[in-house]
Amino acid sequence: MKILLFIAAMLVILAGCSDGRNEATESASAGAGKPLVYTTNYPLQYFVDRIAAPVVEVRFLAPGDEDPAYWRPDAESVLAMQKADLLVLNGASYEGWLKNVSLSPQRMVVTTDGLGDFLIPLETETTHSHGLEGEHEHHGTAFTTWLDPTLAAAQAASIEGVLAARWPRHADRFATQLAELTRELTALDAEAQAIVAGNPGLTVIFSHPIYQYFIQRYGLSARSVHWEPDQMPDETQWRELRAILGEFRAAWMIWEAPPLPQVSGRLASMGVRSAVFDPCANTPGSGDYFSVMRENLETLRRVFAADRPPAGR
Amino acid sequence: MIAVRDLTFGYPQGGFELRLRELKVTRGEGVALVGPSGCGKTTLLHLLAGILRPVSGSVLIDDVEVSALRLEDRQDYRALSMGLVFQEFELLEYLDVLDNVLLPYRISPALGLDEAAKQRAVELVEQVGLADKKNSYPRRLSQGERQRVAVCRSLVTRPRVLFGDEPTANLDADNRDQVMGTLFRYAAEKQAPLIVVTHDPELRERFPTVLDIRELTP
Amino acid sequence: MRDVIFMAWRYLRFYRGKTAVLVASISLILFLPAGLHVLVEQGAEVLTARAETTPLLIGAKGSAVDLTLSALYFRPPHVESMRHREVKRVDRSGLAHGIPMHLRFTAGRQRIVGTTIDYAEFRGLTVDRGRWLAMLGECMLGSEAARALGVDLDDHVLSSAGSAFDVAGSFPLKMPVVGVLAPTGTSDDEIVLVDIKTAWVIAGLAHGHEDVNSAGKDDGRVLQREGRNVVANASVLSYTEITVENMDSFHFHGNPDGFPIDAVLAVPASFKASVLLRGRYEEGDVPVQMIVPSVVVNELLETMFSVRDWVVLGGLAVGVASAMTAALVFALSIRVRRREIETIQKIGGARKRLVTILGAEITFVIVMAVVIAGVLTAVVSRFGELAARLVGA
Repeated sequence: MKILLFIAAMLVILAGCSDGRNEATESASAGAGKPLVYTTNYPLQYFVDRIAAPVVEVRFLAPGDEDPAYWRPDAESVLAMQKADLLVLNGASYEGWLKNVSLSPQRMVVTTDGLGDFLIPLETETTHSHGLEGEHEHHGTAFTTWLDPTLAAAQAASIEGVLAARWPRHADRFATQLAELTRELTALDAEAQAIVAGNPGLTVIFSHPIYQYFIQRYGLSARSVHWEPDQMPDETQWRELRAILGEFRAAWMIWEAPPLPQVSGRLASMGVRSAVFDPCANTPGSGDYFSVMRENLETLRRVFAADRPPAGR
Repeated sequence: MIAVRDLTFGYPQGGFELRLRELKVTRGEGVALVGPSGCGKTTLLHLLAGILRPVSGSVLIDDVEVSALRLEDRQDYRALSMGLVFQEFELLEYLDVLDNVLLPYRISPALGLDEAAKQRAVELVEQVGLADKKNSYPRRLSQGERQRVAVCRSLVTRPRVLFGDEPTANLDADNRDQVMGTLFRYAAEKQAPLIVVTHDPELRERFPTVLDIRELTP
Repeated sequence: MRDVIFMAWRYLRFYRGKTAVLVASISLILFLPAGLHVLVEQGAEVLTARAETTPLLIGAKGSAVDLTLSALYFRPPHVESMRHREVKRVDRSGLAHGIPMHLRFTAGRQRIVGTTIDYAEFRGLTVDRGRWLAMLGECMLGSEAARALGVDLDDHVLSSAGSAFDVAGSFPLKMPVVGVLAPTGTSDDEIVLVDIKTAWVIAGLAHGHEDVNSAGKDDGRVLQREGRNVVANASVLSYTEITVENMDSFHFHGNPDGFPIDAVLAVPASFKASVLLRGRYEEGDVPVQMIVPSVVVNELLETMFSVRDWVVLGGLAVGVASAMTAALVFALSIRVRRREIETIQKIGGARKRLVTILGAEITFVIVMAVVIAGVLTAVVSRFGELAARLVGA
């Protein structure tokens, strides 16, 4: 509810404000074709496309086989982004490379600005100090905000606000298309809520700590380890898992991608089944954000509908 | 052709007076004007040349009453018809020999500088033996050479009358002879009267007519 | 007329020393006010043009002139720094967008200007060779800066160390030159352009280092571990060059909103927006000042023009005195030439002709002096702009 009120407030505020840019210079590439928008991950690209097509051209530079969170643009990519009319960023520490590049702050929109209360800070594992400065930490934030459909809607609203301010001629279209996108996100949210409500006390293990916003939104009882789907965990990691299982009964481990058969086999022998929940950071092989998320919800439905975990291990 | 009648002259500040009842100089006549210093020889020369104007009386040259002309007309007449040579040469330091010879043409609107005049200047310079110095400046010339240039200057306009004021006073014998020889030759050729003020007794001997100013002016 | 010109010219040519002195002194008398006027006008034009293209400037409270001179002409900044959050204050107003400027450092004698890529768009800067800044630690050079530093594309520029009392404060950084800007005829030609974050690296607000967090127990770089804190010794390098390999390790300490900047160029959306924004800064409780550079420069120019007027007046007085002296010299030279004049008159030279010749001599001298003064003024006009920019820079 709080987030919906927030989205509404943002829509009102952003509709009213100007970014100080003269409407006459509304598009750097107007003369050469469509306005150009770059995003830093696939969900944002999808949202921009849903809201602004066919008015703008949207691009997303990270290679398809790389996690955009760890992509580092080279000079050529930065020069390409400098030509954009708008650069749509996730924020929440997502674009760690931003401090290393020269881009126009005037053309950036950080879609999680204003979501401060909802952002989840991360503790680093170690701090360090050197010289006379004393210890200091490197704070980060969990950044997979798009996995919470309500936060995704807030990001989409932020995008729409800036697009409407930059290209007011198309504001009506943007508003209509945003409304449709928001409806779909709201429906997704409702569906997820219903699934979780079906088995409220269920604890799941996540293979990777990237589902924080999803966990936060639906109040899941969850623990994360730090396993890679294409690697066999070492004995320390297995011991860590057994310790967690000793505290919490969990019958499922949720992976970002299908794990190695030997890993899923060994997990099964411990009474832990494996399921895949695609974090959808990069462009899917087929389908789009919603088809991936619906597939994820199907996975979740299976997980939450399953029986309680068997006693003893 | 020079006739003077009842001439009187005095400088405005006073102290000197010149009176001359009569003087006649004929064509081609060479006259030496002699007398002690301060008795008015140069003044008389200047009166005859129209440089000074008499208080009363007349100076006629070829029936032109020069003494009655206005200043500008007297200057034009002098430039056209007279040749003057002075004791102090008085060349312009910033003109070379040829340009000094042609000076009358540059400073008088009554004369027009043409190729004939330039040719005459070259011939005169050659005649006086300065052909190889025609582009030299006065500071590079000896006294004798300078006076020869001054003589050429006095003759380049083909004057009808020649006046000289101690023209050889600062010259050695050779130069004196050369300078006076040139003047005498011209006067004889053109039948021009030649009136020269001089202290030099040897020079005086060369003139057929010698007039003592003390006898001319009572 | 031909004879008059002949006589006058021969006299002047023969006494060329005297002629040269007369011509030189008269031409100087003429050139001084003319040249000064041209120089001041051009200087004013350069200063004014620059100020007029800068609508609003924000800086720490203090001398508006110092702020203008440092932000527009890159003089050493004498105003205090302010916080980077002042840029956000401008942006949030909705009336203008802000471009930060960091001006504390130099490379040799060239000012390092730390800013964002928006500055280039605002000033209409274009690339002559190479490319725009893309990565942290890179720099671009103005056309004159490249020449002064004797470097070009693919060379490096080293930021100058801070003062002797500020050893820890400035961090000499070796920066690759990725581009050279096309000449603009403004003080932008003199700068080393870097990203504002690179300027903060030079200021020692960020650095990279080897990863000590995952160092083993016996790693000599580690002094001790205190719980989850790893204390490293001084053998851990703070890099002097940012490369692709070490770029990720560069991190800023603290919140960039609090980092220092020296000026903010505020680019308003409209005239009305600029008036509203100025009102807010004048009446609001803000820790900074907002100035209109063209107003500041006009006041500066008023002073410059007053000084120029006094100098010209002084020059005119000298000119009058010199004219009188020249007239006296001429009169005396007539006296010295008395015999020459008498000779000319005696051989029949017309008085009128004589006067014309003497007049022609004076005319020649004056004409030559005027021509020389004109040429000098034209030279100043051509190269004075360069001189004025150097003064302005």
